[in-house]
Amino acid sequence: MLEQIKQLFDESTDLFTETLDNGYWPMEIAYFPAMCDERIKDGILIPYSYRFDPDEFRRMLHSNPKYERADNPDEWPNLLLKGYALIKLEETCYSFKSDRTLYTQPDETQLESSLQGPQSAFTEDLELNAYLLRKRYNVPTLSVEPYEKGSLSRTAIFVVYDRKLVNPSVLELLRKRLDKVNIELLQSTGQLIKELTDKNHLFFPTLLQSERPDKVAVMLSRGKVAVLINGSRFALLLPVRLFDFMHAMDDDYESFWISRFLIVMRYVAVLLTIVLPAAYIGIVSYNPEIFRIQLAFTIDGSRAGVPYPSFIEVFIMLFMIEALIEASIRLPKSVGSAATTVGGLILGQAAQQAGLVSSIMIIVTSVVAISNYVIPNHTFSQAIRLMKYWFILISMIYGVSGIAVLFFALIVYLCHLRSFGEPYLAFYGGQNDQKPQSAQRKS
Amino acid sequence: MVRYFYYHVIYVGLINIMLFVPYTLIQNRFHGAVPAIVISIFLGTALAYVTISLYLKFPEMGLPEILNTYLPRTLALTLILLTTVLWFSGGMLVIYSYSRTIQQFFNPDMNPYLFSSLMIAAAIWGGTRCTRTVQFAQEIVLFACAPLILALIMKAIFSKWLSWDAIRITAGYVKTMPSFLSLAAAMFVFAGFNTLAVFNRLVPADTKIRFRWIIPVFCTLIMLISFFVPIGFHGTVGVGQYVYIWSITADSMIMEYGFIQRVLYVFLLLFTALTLMFAMNTWHSAAEFLKSCHPKHRPKTEQYPVPASNWWINASFGGLTLLYAFWADDSRNEWTSHIWLYARFSADLLAVVVFSLILLLKLRPKQQNKQTVPKSASSDS
Repeated sequence: MLEQIKQLFDESTDLFTETLDNGYWPMEIAYFPAMCDERIKDGILIPYSYRFDPDEFRRMLHSNPKYERADNPDEWPNLLLKGYALIKLEETCYSFKSDRTLYTQPDETQLESSLQGPQSAFTEDLELNAYLLRKRYNVPTLSVEPYEKGSLSRTAIFVVYDRKLVNPSVLELLRKRLDKVNIELLQSTGQLIKELTDKNHLFFPTLLQSERPDKVAVMLSRGKVAVLINGSRFALLLPVRLFDFMHAMDDDYESFWISRFLIVMRYVAVLLTIVLPAAYIGIVSYNPEIFRIQLAFTIDGSRAGVPYPSFIEVFIMLFMIEALIEASIRLPKSVGSAATTVGGLILGQAAQQAGLVSSIMIIVTSVVAISNYVIPNHTFSQAIRLMKYWFILISMIYGVSGIAVLFFALIVYLCHLRSFGEPYLAFYGGQNDQKPQSAQRKS
Repeated sequence: MVRYFYYHVIYVGLINIMLFVPYTLIQNRFHGAVPAIVISIFLGTALAYVTISLYLKFPEMGLPEILNTYLPRTLALTLILLTTVLWFSGGMLVIYSYSRTIQQFFNPDMNPYLFSSLMIAAAIWGGTRCTRTVQFAQEIVLFACAPLILALIMKAIFSKWLSWDAIRITAGYVKTMPSFLSLAAAMFVFAGFNTLAVFNRLVPADTKIRFRWIIPVFCTLIMLISFFVPIGFHGTVGVGQYVYIWSITADSMIMEYGFIQRVLYVFLLLFTALTLMFAMNTWHSAAEFLKSCHPKHRPKTEQYPVPASNWWINASFGGLTLLYAFWADDSRNEWTSHIWLYARFSADLLAVVVFSLILLLKLRPKQQNKQTVPKSASSDS
């Protein structure tokens, strides 16, 4: 066995291969010390060396589930790379599962924090994630299908669903798409999302990423499918609807009216962040008569010192705020607040006093930036962030009426999207609406 | 699923303003509009009830499937093509009227074709979608519009400038001879049930369309408001002077609180949505009709991504609308709208006749069926 393995791992000096001998039996052993943990000592070395008893050792080989026969030489490199130890005793090969896991406890939520809900989040370890999910969704019908994707990374993937509730056509489609996944290094859920979505789903996410086990559990109970990836602390959920992206877990934990209020507020915020900069252009440059006269005068007065058309003003301010947001993600935490203060407060104030932008525009920019972060899901928030530029473009040409038309087109686009065959934006009542295609008669 | 049907009823009822229905009725307010409204309430309700029941007899089939299955090919093709023209031109007229309204009341400095092309682009975008998408989008847009509709109606009814006296005087002309044009115009408000021609494909078999009282109640309400409120605001005589009567009427109302003072802008915003909904629906239906003329076509309600034929058909609809916009002016548009209203009313009646005949023949044994089909064909055409 050792000769064969040495041939395969020619230059890998970190592979440990040795023939041990305790006086009774010689044993060939091979493993990567970096990928295995201390269990190898208790599981193999101690029973083999000073506590050795041939009968007991044989019994252990047969009864301990961590030992498995590994007779097929083609599987050896794979097993070694996954953190198994290979041993050969009396002409029989066994594998011993001893892979090192760095994670022993759940993470803290970072992106989807909640005030009073559970604070634990998924980790980068698949086994622990499966445990977190099983603990919250504790039924025998929870099914787990293992996959392995990525020709170089060979990342383990779990497809998790409740087989009683799941929509079989969705599952079928997911399997088909997973078969087509062609990727070298699969390291994050984002890559898998790109592989699983259609080419023309360019603007809005049709798969939901979540780091919260409680959210995934709720989704599973609604018959959705979760995809867990080894090495990523996010689960993928599908099929999803637009409303799922606007839903924070706190909505389930707060009292009824509070959560309704929060949800309505969130939709208003989304409307504002999409439409407000465009509406500013439309109202200032095209139709100031929409507003009542006092308000129109106030806005125009605040723009008195600004020497260029409103859309340039909007672009200046939006560029500043986007740069600020981007910078505050990349900056080290200790400098982050300084950048925000300088960028947001001082620059904004100075730009207004210098007559480069109007004070109303400063308000618009702040509202846009704040409203954008009300959205509970990061991917969706990015999509909305991009969406406002379309509205600005149309507003430059058509003014307010263009915004209304584009908003209609946006709704049609969202209704047109499908997340794994299910409608993306629709008020509809469950799977019963999925009408069979029996209307296809001879015509 | 039944709720989707009533969305069609409501927004088709509301779009009457863009098809010169209130203008036509008001022009005839002393010569037969009021009795025409009364007749249309009964006739429209009856027609809606009968047509719905007839469509439900052909579960999950749209108009083209019904005609293609039970009628000889040439006759079916003629009827389908006529329906296509009718539906497409409905969307075309509404887009033109709305673009004119926007040009007069909102963007007077803008090149009129620039805005028309935006509306056409949006309508093409909507019309190319698959039937289910259209249905979902209609629900969402109508929900988004509901507060605006309510605000507008409330403002109109409870305005202190509304002269109930003028309304009462006009209503007194109920004993005049009803004119056919007024009747055709008034019947349009009830025309929402016709959308079953395509959307019946989405109504599952043995569904019962319940709550049919919604049709008479809502449509009557819409009709009374769209006819009487302008009269209440402008007086029995003054009201006859305006073409874009409802834009003027909306501009007669004021909102005391909030950012916006003139109700006109609420009205225009609302009708952007309604116009595009109507155009999306009519062009989508027309495209579906046209596609079903192809002998190998199989109707699908869920298509993702949309086929290229949808794009070609809708783009040519858009091109025709642009041509119409070059040709038309206010008086020509009014003339075309009148013809369209006549044609639509006759098509409603014809549809009932054809469907009843098909149903009669279908119930008979097969042997007889073959003999009688040519006979009914000659009597129809």
